[in-house]
Amino acid sequence: MPTSAAENYFPVLLQILIAMAVAGGMVGGSFFLGHKVRNRIKDMPYESGMVPTGDARGRFSVKFYLVGMLFILFDIEAIFLYPWVVVFHELKMLAFIEMVLFIVFVLAGFFYIWKKGVLNWAAEGNDEGKDAVRILSHDQHAA
Amino acid sequence: MSTAVLPDQLVSGIPQATCDGIPTYWIDRGQIHATLRELIEDVPQPYKMLYDLTAIDERGRRHRDGQPASDFTVVYHLLSFERNAYIRLKVALEMGHLSLPTMTDLSPAANWYEREVFDMFGIVFEEHPHMERILMPRSWVGHPLRKDHPARATELGPFLLTDEKQDAEQEALRFRPEEWGMRRGREGTDFIFLNVGPQHPGTHGVLRIVLELDGEEILDAVPDIGFHHRGAEKMGERQTWHTYIPYTDRVDYLGGVMNNMAYLTGVEKLAGITVPPRGQTIRVMMCELFRIISHLVWYGTFAQDLGQMSPVFYMFNDREIAFGIVEAICGARMHPNWFRIGGVAQDLPAGWDKMFRDFLDYLPSKLDEYDRIVMRNKLFQARTKGVGGCTVEEAIQWGMTGPNLRAAGFGWDFRKKQPYSGYEQYEFDVPVGVNGDCYDRATVHVEEMRQSLRIIRQCVDNMPGGPCNAEHRLTTPPPKAQTMHDIETLIHHFLSVSWGPVIPPGEALAAIEATKGNNGYYLVSDGGNGSYRTRIRAPSFPHMQMLPKLCRGLMIPDLLAILGSLDYVLADIDR
Amino acid sequence: MSALYPLLIIAVVLGIVLNLAGGLIWVERRLLALWQDRYGPNRVGPFGLGQVVADSVKLFTKEDWIPPFADKPVFVLAPAVVVATSLLAFAVIPFAAGFVIADLSVGILFLLAASSLGVYSVVLAGWSSNNKYALLGGLRATAQMLSYEVFMGLSLMGVVIMAGSFRLGDIVEAQRHMWYVVPQFAGFVMFLIAGVAETRRLPFDLAESESELIAGFHSEYSGMKFGMFFVGEYIGVILISAMLTLCYFGGWLGPVLPGPVWFGLKTMAFICLFILFRAALPRPRFDQLMSWGWKVLLPLALLNLLVTGAAVLLLR
Repeated sequence: MPTSAAENYFPVLLQILIAMAVAGGMVGGSFFLGHKVRNRIKDMPYESGMVPTGDARGRFSVKFYLVGMLFILFDIEAIFLYPWVVVFHELKMLAFIEMVLFIVFVLAGFFYIWKKGVLNWAAEGNDEGKDAVRILSHDQHAA
Repeated sequence: MSTAVLPDQLVSGIPQATCDGIPTYWIDRGQIHATLRELIEDVPQPYKMLYDLTAIDERGRRHRDGQPASDFTVVYHLLSFERNAYIRLKVALEMGHLSLPTMTDLSPAANWYEREVFDMFGIVFEEHPHMERILMPRSWVGHPLRKDHPARATELGPFLLTDEKQDAEQEALRFRPEEWGMRRGREGTDFIFLNVGPQHPGTHGVLRIVLELDGEEILDAVPDIGFHHRGAEKMGERQTWHTYIPYTDRVDYLGGVMNNMAYLTGVEKLAGITVPPRGQTIRVMMCELFRIISHLVWYGTFAQDLGQMSPVFYMFNDREIAFGIVEAICGARMHPNWFRIGGVAQDLPAGWDKMFRDFLDYLPSKLDEYDRIVMRNKLFQARTKGVGGCTVEEAIQWGMTGPNLRAAGFGWDFRKKQPYSGYEQYEFDVPVGVNGDCYDRATVHVEEMRQSLRIIRQCVDNMPGGPCNAEHRLTTPPPKAQTMHDIETLIHHFLSVSWGPVIPPGEALAAIEATKGNNGYYLVSDGGNGSYRTRIRAPSFPHMQMLPKLCRGLMIPDLLAILGSLDYVLADIDR
Repeated sequence: MSALYPLLIIAVVLGIVLNLAGGLIWVERRLLALWQDRYGPNRVGPFGLGQVVADSVKLFTKEDWIPPFADKPVFVLAPAVVVATSLLAFAVIPFAAGFVIADLSVGILFLLAASSLGVYSVVLAGWSSNNKYALLGGLRATAQMLSYEVFMGLSLMGVVIMAGSFRLGDIVEAQRHMWYVVPQFAGFVMFLIAGVAETRRLPFDLAESESELIAGFHSEYSGMKFGMFFVGEYIGVILISAMLTLCYFGGWLGPVLPGPVWFGLKTMAFICLFILFRAALPRPRFDQLMSWGWKVLLPLALLNLLVTGAAVLLLR
């Protein structure tokens, strides 16, 4: 059984190096093996065979950027839970009550942003609340 | 119809008699806009749908008895659902004054139709929001459907595509937002202009849609069609009545004989032929089989558009079984070219009914299975319910027909309302949706397959005896019985076989409930062995025109759901 | 302990994983074909197995094309990232008792960290390509990551509470009497969903979604760099399947057969499940995926954690 951190993580370091070598080898291998032919059509960005209007480097809007910020908050809050789960067996009731409180606070904040509508960022046309029930009716017309 | 105000009292124009009995009036150029407004908006039981808008180059006509002088005639077809009747308006134009007021303010559907008339005939519609070519490339010289435009590539010089020319053509296709009144962005955000198609796996063919995107939200869409244009209407003027039949197969290439049906119903109206009961029943049976075949392709590819990989393979397998029947009867599969003027090419082969009965027993359980894997799939429903819906009113304004119109909640089926080929004898239901969204379009399509099976079963059970071709001198091939008696009829037979029948002068519109909606052929005969003008009113054309309206404000995945659910075929749009 | 022993294990593990990833191309195509009433590749070698070799040779000898309009270093880096990070994660996967490259006490955390790095390759590829489809694909990958990462870790924590350790070896040993899939069924389902999203396969292949974005983030990729996204994807599938096996289905534990065989069989079963998903399901829209992840799965994962904690307290 390895004991020190160095001994523990030495294989991981090895694995990192080897994984990078494998990936680099694949990229490099195809660089040397493949032949190269260039032409002007090939050197255009692919856009269904049309000449593009503008490129992909504009200031585009990311509608879900608020969700992205919340993600960072919630991911950090989730990380607080990770140490708790391993020491749970030692701390027992105390830890449980504290965590209930923590999760309740987190959920309270969560429902607040939910009600604020931050999570509904979809385009206007796609609102989920639409009536989804319908009956296929038959109507028999006399000719 | 009986209580309605008769068309004669509605419009003041010169009436013209036609073979199809549709009231036809020649309207003065200055009066046309007012007359159209009257008919679409004001008259009791108004003619709400602009069914078709096209033109005729009259400069080569010989038989125009009683019609006002005209070089180019613009023809409007309006449809009133309340009257269950069409009305046809014609405007005579002189060479040199080829312009008319636009009717895009009266009907949004007119937009593309007017552009098509401009593209094909060079007739300008004043104050049209975007008077630009629609089917032909912008660099094209001339207007193809004019009689003086060459009909064959061999009449033009040799074609050469140099690098410079290719670059120029490519550049001409580049989308310029300003031309469409679009901005390139708004405060702090640039809009993305994305070409979806023509080389794109989701567009079901060479269709180009330019999207104006804010992130993934679609602000606007501009469909660009014409990449699949083969000049089917021009070919109609070049071929004889008979040899044009195989070309119709390729208009809605998933619909097979359904196209023959639409075209020949028109030719038979002109010729005054009535198909005998056996011929009619065979036609109905094959048409409904092709409706199923077409809907199966739609079903599978729709699921595939939503990311579901497998159903398309199952449905193509079923389609293969159906094609087996088509092959046994017609000898060909997708393009059977099998109906003839006055009937069908051959009587049914021995054992045909067993093949049909096996298929009728086989498919229903499969359809139930597909309901389970596709229609009842929660993810499928989440992607289709409430997406791309429209009201009946909008659908009519935009010229929507067929399953898509019925999905919006209007139970209009031409097989019921204007029966042809004996459809009035069959029992079947017309499935109707509620919201007109993608899911409703799907349910209507699926249910239509079941109804088609019902019709086919009735055909198989009650197949009449007797001849399948009409005893009429214009039937092809012509009846041979009398030819052995005298030289006169022998010569007629010889001419009819080698040159094809000569159809008497006249004009007729025949519209049928095809796989994707209403497919109409407006045929003008000038007393020759070929058509003078063949106008194909294809259902996919107005459906595609409606796309921007359906997808505005939604996202790219919804666009694909809408495209998939609309059930269009590029060949049907571009012709 | 010498450096040779870990090297040996690394060699064995990498050998297995890379070969399996290549072989999965064949497995997936044949299985899909089976479920879709068709044949699949059956021409090259016995049962078409030679297809794997043929495909690799083809990919390696194809043109190594880097678009002149792209951000070149990032463009080359992106496919390398996906392969390297997903291989890295295998450092802590025990194939049998003691057969592991590095038996870390924070095994699960290392796994989560390494596997979630993979999304960078997609985002980088999408951005560096300077192609609009690729850009939209990259954005979607971001949206997808935002929606499942939070509950992915949380859904595993139920298992950790029960085992009391982040070490994968301990978690497997703790399942001697009962597989955790029974008490942690909710956690299992949530982790499975997150796992499919993590591998970016149908129904969550939004970043690629070929019917909408042509090929999404890798529209401009060709040759081996294109192939590496697939290798990375398959390694990801193997990884998530191995995690599911270890955390919920008793890892290498099982009667009669030796441990590694059990581990292999269970992992393979999950791999087939991934392929079945691909054959059966349509894909949701990405705002639907996002709102589902946040509004349903995140609260559920927190709830699952609380209930598990309470149950552990009561039953001790």
